Amino acid sequence: MRRTFAVGLLVAVLLLVVGVGAFAEVTLTFQSYSNPNEQVAQFIQNVLIPELKKAHPEVDVKYVYIPFAEYMSTILQQAVSNTLPDLVYLDNPWVPQLIEAGVFQKITDNVMRDLGKDFWMDFFPGHRLLTSKDEEIYALQVHTNNLAIFYREGFLKQAGIGEPPKTWDEFQDAAKKIKESLGIYGLMFYAGADEAGTWQFEPFLWSNGGSLLELDQPEAIEALEFVTGLVKNGYAPRDVVGLKDQGDVTIWFMNGQAAMMINGNWEFGWHLLPDVLQKLGDVKVAPFPVPEAGMRSAVLPFGGECVGVTTSDSEKAKYAWELIRIWFAERLDEYYEKWTGHIPTLASYAAKIAEKRPEFEIFIKQAAYTLPRPPMGGMDKYPDVSNELALALQKALTEAQTPEAAFKEAASNIRNLFTPEAYEENKATARKILEEVLARTKAQ
Amino acid sequence: MKIPKVTLFLFLLPSLALIFIFGLYPVVYNVFLSLKDVNLITYIRGTSKDVGSLNYRAILGDSLFWRALYNTIVFTLLSIVLQMVVGFLLALLFYYEFPLKGFLQALVMVPWVMPIMVSGSFFRWFLNDNGFLNNLLATFGWITEPVRWITLERVVIYSLTAVNVWLGIPFNFILLYTGMQQIPEELYESADIDGAAGWQKVLYIALPMLKPVLVATFVLGCILTFKVFDLVWIVTRGGPGGASHLLSTLSYSLAFDRFQFGKSAAVLVLMQIIVILFVGFSTRIRLEER
Repeated sequence: MRRTFAVGLLVAVLLLVVGVGAFAEVTLTFQSYSNPNEQVAQFIQNVLIPELKKAHPEVDVKYVYIPFAEYMSTILQQAVSNTLPDLVYLDNPWVPQLIEAGVFQKITDNVMRDLGKDFWMDFFPGHRLLTSKDEEIYALQVHTNNLAIFYREGFLKQAGIGEPPKTWDEFQDAAKKIKESLGIYGLMFYAGADEAGTWQFEPFLWSNGGSLLELDQPEAIEALEFVTGLVKNGYAPRDVVGLKDQGDVTIWFMNGQAAMMINGNWEFGWHLLPDVLQKLGDVKVAPFPVPEAGMRSAVLPFGGECVGVTTSDSEKAKYAWELIRIWFAERLDEYYEKWTGHIPTLASYAAKIAEKRPEFEIFIKQAAYTLPRPPMGGMDKYPDVSNELALALQKALTEAQTPEAAFKEAASNIRNLFTPEAYEENKATARKILEEVLARTKAQ
Repeated sequence: MKIPKVTLFLFLLPSLALIFIFGLYPVVYNVFLSLKDVNLITYIRGTSKDVGSLNYRAILGDSLFWRALYNTIVFTLLSIVLQMVVGFLLALLFYYEFPLKGFLQALVMVPWVMPIMVSGSFFRWFLNDNGFLNNLLATFGWITEPVRWITLERVVIYSLTAVNVWLGIPFNFILLYTGMQQIPEELYESADIDGAAGWQKVLYIALPMLKPVLVATFVLGCILTFKVFDLVWIVTRGGPGGASHLLSTLSYSLAFDRFQFGKSAAVLVLMQIIVILFVGFSTRIRLEER
């Protein structure tokens, strides 16, 4: 009896194994740092993957979550040990380096065949620049984001400020009035010693005509002096250098410790969810302030994630691309409308979404004046350049050095990262991109 | 019965293999990395070039490295000395019976039980300019301006050291407390008969008898503290402006903020050299004592 049972069990197990195998002949791995409970991950798991499986029952997709802090080191290990997943979702500044390293598969033919050239050209130029190299496409940027000023209307009114600040002078003035009349900080921002610290300073730098590769020039030093002044005068706390991440900025803002903050639109899908906004009651967004009146917009870096195919197995690559195709060709409206706190990377979608999600309107308008970070800082040297800037920013903010001394030292360190020719070439590229966008911000 | 040498070697083989694969190979590989121009692209592509001592020269010419070295030495030595002193005093206290002893003893162990992620995040909030500590001091009227515990370049490493002392007390306490239990009661009794005062018993009985334990605690503590990474990374990320980098955090930042794996490996090799020198030195002292 016992023997019959054991044989029966064995047969059942075997059938189960064979059966599962018959239903899923191909298993793809989708790797991401979006926590499985977050909107983007939910969309991938509950919309994209079922949709792919409906059309291709032979395919199964495993969603693998790796925390952001370990993401790059994981990809690096996977790349050197030939264990890369089939699809990766990752932060845009990393993309050029990984294209250069050969991590992504070319998807030019797939994009042209299934989405079309017009679709590709509909991406804002910065996103195209970042995800392609020598006329070949390696990834697609799924969404973007940028920075603006979030403010509590009630606090501004109490401090006698009618309109949110538009220029740097008004910005400083507003922060001062809030500090003096309400006793809370006028402003909160992030200045940690990492990429996010650099990212929050870049709008000040670029809008003032400064470049990451010319930090010893007056435009850059002036921008640093302005930001340093906000902290030195006590309008923003010195703790900006010691925050965990940009989410911490929102915590201060939500707690009513600061009346304004510099943060990005993703906060509407993270901390500033509808119930929180309702409870606070008076959270508004204003465009990032500009150095002088008359400028149409600040010049900002863009953020956001890209997705690309990383498997070299042609069968798997076919299905991996199919998942991306469904995302872009069939589900993009739904994605932007419902599933993300980020804004579109394609011009035609930007206009549509601005109407449907008014909280993103300012960010979408600013998106036309945003720049990709790596080409502005020496492309594959960008992580180095960014780190030098973040360190200098912290030194100036904590008064360990004057803004001028901090940026002069950083500029010299940055120059030493390149050969003289490469430095000049990268400097010229960054300058050219910057001048083009600055001209647009000033055009009437 | 005489066991043939080959058999003996076979018995040793598994552990030798483990030592080679997990101990020696990474160390040697790291030395090779430090002599190459390895960044994200060249590492993945496998196209890094030999650059000789370039990474070392770059590191030795970088003020951040010297700062990190200074910080590491200050952090390690201060932590160890203070942890041992406090740990010893606590061990002395708990040597005697008193009410609530068990409960208080458990309380001493709290820092050890708490995950470093939790205590690190707590101290970041506790020590910042607008943090709990400054608010408390201001409430008592002892300060008017916030003390810049972790935002002032020359102070930050001492604040972190203080936190590390707190974290390390349980370890020192346990070792020294156990050591004290081993001291024969009779020694104290005869000292009592001779009319020795309390401090004399500590100085002439407890301390000399504890010497082997003290040396072991010191050496272990130095090695454990020398490689501290998580605490500093969580509280300050080596900031502000690199002022609180230890060699470990600097190496990590070079590797994963900047993808400069060659330079990062060079820092690690220099760290290893320091550890080897230290261990060699301490072993020699212990041998001489014997």
